[in-house]
Amino acid sequence: MRRGTLVRWGLPVAVASVIGAAIGAGPVIAAVSGDPVLPERSAAQLLADATAATQKGGIAPMSGTVQQTASLGLPALPQLSQAGGSSPLSLLSGSHEVKVWYGAADKLRVAMPTQMNETNLIVNGGQVWYWESDTNTATRMTVKTPAGHKRPVPPLPEQAALTPQQLTEQLLARADEHTAVRVVNTAEVAGRPAYQLVITPKDEGSLVREVRIALDGETYVPLQVQVYAKGSAEPAFQVGFTQVTFTPPAEENFTFTPPAGAKVEERTIDLADLVGRRVEERTERAKDVAEQAKVVGEGWSAVAVVPFSLDDLSAEARGKDASGARGDADPQAMLDAVLKSATPVSGDWGSGKLIRTKLVTVLLTDDGRILAGAVTPDEIVKAAGVK
Amino acid sequence: MSTAEDTPPTGTATATAQTTPETTAPETTAPETTAPETTAPETTKPGMTASRGGGTAPGGGATVVAAGPRRAPGLVSVAETRSTAERRPVEPAPAAGRPPAAPQRRAGAFWRLLGSELALTFRRPRNLLMLAVLAVVPVVVGIGLRLVGAPDDDLSGMIAAVAGNSLMLTFAAFSFLVLLLMPVTVSVVAGDALAGEAGGGTLRYLLAAPAGRTRLLAVKYLNAAVYAYAATAVVALSALVTGLVLFPAGPVTLLSGTTITMAEGLLRIALAVGYVGAAMSALAAVALAMSAFTEVSIGAIAATVVLVVLCQVLRAVPALDAVAPYLLPTWFMKFDAVLRSPVDWAALGEGLRAFGAYVVLFGSIAWARFSGKDITS
Repeated sequence: MRRGTLVRWGLPVAVASVIGAAIGAGPVIAAVSGDPVLPERSAAQLLADATAATQKGGIAPMSGTVQQTASLGLPALPQLSQAGGSSPLSLLSGSHEVKVWYGAADKLRVAMPTQMNETNLIVNGGQVWYWESDTNTATRMTVKTPAGHKRPVPPLPEQAALTPQQLTEQLLARADEHTAVRVVNTAEVAGRPAYQLVITPKDEGSLVREVRIALDGETYVPLQVQVYAKGSAEPAFQVGFTQVTFTPPAEENFTFTPPAGAKVEERTIDLADLVGRRVEERTERAKDVAEQAKVVGEGWSAVAVVPFSLDDLSAEARGKDASGARGDADPQAMLDAVLKSATPVSGDWGSGKLIRTKLVTVLLTDDGRILAGAVTPDEIVKAAGVK
Repeated sequence: MSTAEDTPPTGTATATAQTTPETTAPETTAPETTAPETTAPETTKPGMTASRGGGTAPGGGATVVAAGPRRAPGLVSVAETRSTAERRPVEPAPAAGRPPAAPQRRAGAFWRLLGSELALTFRRPRNLLMLAVLAVVPVVVGIGLRLVGAPDDDLSGMIAAVAGNSLMLTFAAFSFLVLLLMPVTVSVVAGDALAGEAGGGTLRYLLAAPAGRTRLLAVKYLNAAVYAYAATAVVALSALVTGLVLFPAGPVTLLSGTTITMAEGLLRIALAVGYVGAAMSALAAVALAMSAFTEVSIGAIAATVVLVVLCQVLRAVPALDAVAPYLLPTWFMKFDAVLRSPVDWAALGEGLRAFGAYVVLFGSIAWARFSGKDITS
C-alpha cells in the first residue's frame, strides 16, 4: 500500500474520531472537568437552602425536556415493548421523553411526543385538558375537591415548630444509622451546575449502591434522580432533565381549545369519591394482607414477606385476561415469562423460585410466601429462614 | 468494454502510476504545488502529490495526456488523473499579474460541470420515471382515503387528520414514503453516480477533462443532493395539490392539538421539505461512498437500500434501542417536529447535526476511495 493511500484514509478516520468524540465527549467532559463552580455545602446546609427556596416562592417557572431511562435488568417480558407509549408498564424498560412547561402552581403542560403523535396534559387554573392526537380526542377533566378540603400542600413534618436547618439536621441524624449522605458540588445536569446529594446505603446486603439526587445550583429545583445498582456503572433507573430553562414559558402553552373536528369528552373526577371508594376497596384487602405481612430486617436491607399463592395469582391473571382489558399486556403471558426466568433455590427453610433484577430480588417460596426487597439473593434467602 | 482484456492487473497499474510522475510533473505550476515540502499531510490533496518528482521544469501542462509508451490503453492511473485533475492553462508566474482570473475560471468550470450533470440527471428517463412514481403515490393515497374514510367514523389520528385538512396529506405522504420509497429513489441516482460512469467506461473521459477528482466528487454529490430535494419537493407538491383538490382547506390542527392558520401550515410544509430533503441528501452521501467502491452501479444501489432496510429492522428490535440514535433512518421521521406546538427546533437541530455527520463521514470515505482509485475500465 502506498503511503499516500494511508494518509488519504486518514481523513475518514479523523472525521470518524471527531464525530465519535463529539458524541462521547459530552458526558466525559462534564465528569472530568469538575471545576467546582458552586461553593461547597454540607448535606444539612444544602437541604436547608432547598427547603427555604421552595417555601419562599414555590418552584420557579421553567420548561424543559425530561428523560426517564430504566435498565432494571428485568426478565424479557412479552408485550412490554408493545404495551403502548402511555402504559405505565412501558416505563419499566427503555427510555422515554416528555416535555414539560411549568408556569405556576396551577399552570402546567406535559407533552409526550411519539412518532407522528402526541399526548398532552394541560392544566390551567381549574381547567384540565387531556389531548390525544392518535384518537383525536380532547378530554376536559374537572377536578372536584372535597368540600372544606384545601389543595393539599405537601407539609413537611413538624414544619411549624422547626426552622429548615433544624428539620434537615433531624432528618439526617435519623438517616445516619443506615445511610451515608454526602454532597458533590461538581455535577452538571442539563448544562447547569448542580449539587448532587449522594445517598449510600451502609448495609452490605443492599442491591442499591447509591442514589444521586441532583439539585439545581441556583434554584434548588430537583433536576435529576439516579439509582445505581451494585456492580454496574450506568444507573439502573434515571429520571431527569436533559434540557431546562428557568424562564416563564409562553402563555399559549397553557391555553387549549379543542380543535375543530376533534371528539370532546367531559369527565369529572371527584377526588372525595375516588379516594373514598378506592380506600374502602383497598382497606379490606390491605387489612388481610397486613395481618399476615411482615418486614424482616431494617433500613435498606428490609425484606417484605407477604403470603400468597401462585394459583390465586394465575387465576386472577386469567380473570383479567378474560375481561379483556383493551391494550393491556396479557397478564398470564407475562406471569409465565417471569416464572420462566426464575431460578429454583432451596435451603433448610424449604424451596422456592428466585427472580433477580438489578435493584429488586423476589423470592416465591413453595410454602406460599412472597419475599421482596432491594437486597442480594443471599440476604433474601436468609430472610426466608426467619419465620 | 473492449479494452478490458488489455487492462493490466493492478500490480502493473501501480507500477505505471509510479512511473508517470516523471512525465507529468512538469505541468504542475499551480500556486499550491510550489510548496517545497510534499510529504506533509495537507500536500496529499489530488494534484499536489504530482509535484513529488520535482515540479521545477517549465511549462507544457497541456501535453500530459500523452503518457509513456508503456501505458496500457484504457488505464487511467491515479497519478495521471491527479495531475490532469488540476491541469489548467499554464499561467505565468504570480509576479506576472492577473492572479484572480484562475479561481474565477475554476469556479465557472465547476458550475458548468454541475449544470451538465444536472441536465443529464433530469433528462434521464429512469430518473424522471422514479419522480413520477413518487408523485403518484400521494394521489393514490389521497383518493383511497377519500373513498374509504367518511369523516364521521372512528378514524385513527393521522387518517382523520388527513380527512379533516388538505395540508395534512403532505405529512402523511412523507411519513410513509420516507421509510423506503424515497431512500430507494435517491440511492439509485447517488449510487449510480460514480459506479455507473465507471461501469460504462465514461469515467475516464470525465477525468480526462480538466475537472479533478475532488471536484468531480463534489459535483456528483451536489447533483445527487439536488435530486434528493427535487424528489422531496415532488412528493410535497403532489400531496399538496391532491389534498387541496380532495379535502377541505382551512386552519390546520397540529399534533399538539393547537390550530394554526393555513399560511402557517404551508410554512411548516416548507420546513418539512427542507428537513426531509436534508435527510435524503445525507443518504445520498452514503450511496455515493458505496458507489466509489464498485464499478457495478446496481451493487452500490443495492448495498445502500439493504443498509436502509437493515437499519429499519434494527430500529424495530426493542432490545437495540440504544443503537437507534446512531442509525440514519431513525432521524428521517423526525420531521414530525414541525407538527408540534411550539415547533420542536431542538429535535430538528439534532436531526440536521446527525445528517451533517453522515455527510462528512461518508463524503470523506468516498473521497479517500475515489481519489486513490485506478480507473481500469
